[in-house]
Amino acid sequence: MSKEEIYQALSDAVIKCKIPLSKEYAQKALDEGLDPVEAINEGLVKGMGVVGDKFAAHEIYLPQVLVSAKALYAGLDILLPAIPTGALDNAKKAVTVVVKGDVHDIGKNIVRTMLTAGGFVVNDLGKDVEPQVIVDTMRNDNVDILCMSTLMTPTMDSMKSTMDLLRETGYRGNCTVTIGGPPTSPQFAEQIGADHRDNNAQDCVNWLKA
Amino acid sequence: MTPYERAVATLQNEPVDELPAYPLVCGLQRRLLPNQPVTYRTWATDAKLCAQSFVEGFNQYKFPYSVLLEDLSVTAHDFGSNVRMDAENTPFVDDHAIKSIEDYEKLEMPDIHKGRTGHLIEMNRLAATALKGKSFMISFLEGPLLTLSQSRGAEELFMDMFEDPAPIHKAMEVTTQFCCDAVTAIGETGVEAMCWDYLWGNYAVLGDAEYGEFEGDKYAKRTNEATRKAGIGLAVHNCSDIPHLKTQIKDFGVDAYSMAYYPQVPESPTMAKVIEDGYAEKCTIMGTIDPQLFMRGDYQSGVEVTKELCQEVKTAMCKAGLKSHTCIASGCEVPPDLETKWEVVQAVMDATHQYGAF
Repeated sequence: MSKEEIYQALSDAVIKCKIPLSKEYAQKALDEGLDPVEAINEGLVKGMGVVGDKFAAHEIYLPQVLVSAKALYAGLDILLPAIPTGALDNAKKAVTVVVKGDVHDIGKNIVRTMLTAGGFVVNDLGKDVEPQVIVDTMRNDNVDILCMSTLMTPTMDSMKSTMDLLRETGYRGNCTVTIGGPPTSPQFAEQIGADHRDNNAQDCVNWLKA
Repeated sequence: MTPYERAVATLQNEPVDELPAYPLVCGLQRRLLPNQPVTYRTWATDAKLCAQSFVEGFNQYKFPYSVLLEDLSVTAHDFGSNVRMDAENTPFVDDHAIKSIEDYEKLEMPDIHKGRTGHLIEMNRLAATALKGKSFMISFLEGPLLTLSQSRGAEELFMDMFEDPAPIHKAMEVTTQFCCDAVTAIGETGVEAMCWDYLWGNYAVLGDAEYGEFEGDKYAKRTNEATRKAGIGLAVHNCSDIPHLKTQIKDFGVDAYSMAYYPQVPESPTMAKVIEDGYAEKCTIMGTIDPQLFMRGDYQSGVEVTKELCQEVKTAMCKAGLKSHTCIASGCEVPPDLETKWEVVQAVMDATHQYGAF
């Protein structure tokens, strides 16, 4: 099997939600001595890009996207540990999180997937996370990008608290902050001092890469 | 016209003196109760206090409708999920009852008269009795798919839909039966309509095929039929960004449809567009003020937003040849937390009275 065929198989595994195939061809890439970063980018990430585009165009829906993401992560679990130390040093670091008081994390998880597929090194802090934990992580790990999400209106204030703390600690100038979730708006992003608010994960990643 | 007369006439597409206005204030009304402070937990667990809060809301604002919504974790709680109730936040599920694909088939029917549904039924009875003939009383409950997503976790449920749908259908049989039994009991409380939350009829989440398979084609039809059989009106609330309007309004044949509008989402339909597309022909459309306005706006901005919506809606009604069939409402519940401003609620009522008059 040629290098190109392996990458195509990885891409197809993500597009067709085939988790076992994603694992199989990720391992095959390593067994064949291929560059794991190239296998990720030319295989898994390409596939997830196709999925993201189809989702944005309403050609496929959330169940399929979520299972494609599972296939993506299944391949990444094999390929990422094989990347030589230092190879990702130039990649931008991002934190994804659902803010304090909220546990709805589908949107955040899609952003995490698209960021990963976009070549970012993502630290997902999960849901219902205190501002102090978010800001400490940003500072301690020198994170470049913060992506905050919430589904509920009352917990939008947790986004503001996090922004306030970022400013108080002096780290705000070191990072880009994007927010998302149905109740948020570009106006709210501006009010709290975030840089960006987007409707969907793919557009958000495109904005971050621009 | 009295608020009630206006509410009824609107549902029948009869002429009204002014558009009815109803910001969906539910949990927020705990702040109208005497002997405050009343926490959300107390409000959501004490049927008498909860019902009284709707009475206080009516007494102060003369709401034509009262939607008896507590939160979206009522049925999931009864199916065994843990619901976290912070003092001043909308309760939500923080530990799902269904933790694996095998658990779908273990889902058991709770007793509708116990737990939070039992509480809701009692609250409905008390509120409907107190406000009979004054405010049009609409019960509110999560539909069968929302009940299941709250019991499993939405992300896990959606993945299961793709990977192993059969157990989901078995669980949907149970949640659907629960919803049918609940609406049968609710129909005996004196409320005049049932509003189902069929949230997942959303093109940002499920396509026609998926929504049809997992709610629209079969399960929602049963809950809708049970609602009709209970002798009460049928309403749907869907605050998603791209709702399945054809399925949920035309195919379901609902009497009222409560919807939101997301200006930042290109495909999100405005209320005027929905009216123009003929959806208000046989159904009252309710919406679409941004709930954020009630937290972040003030009286003046409340007036401005409502004025603009009234003008859009009246123009659309005129083009569509409607006598009424529309209601100025918030697109979703007015946030029940402490930062929410009653002055914006007042602004919506005042501005609709002024700019929604015929």
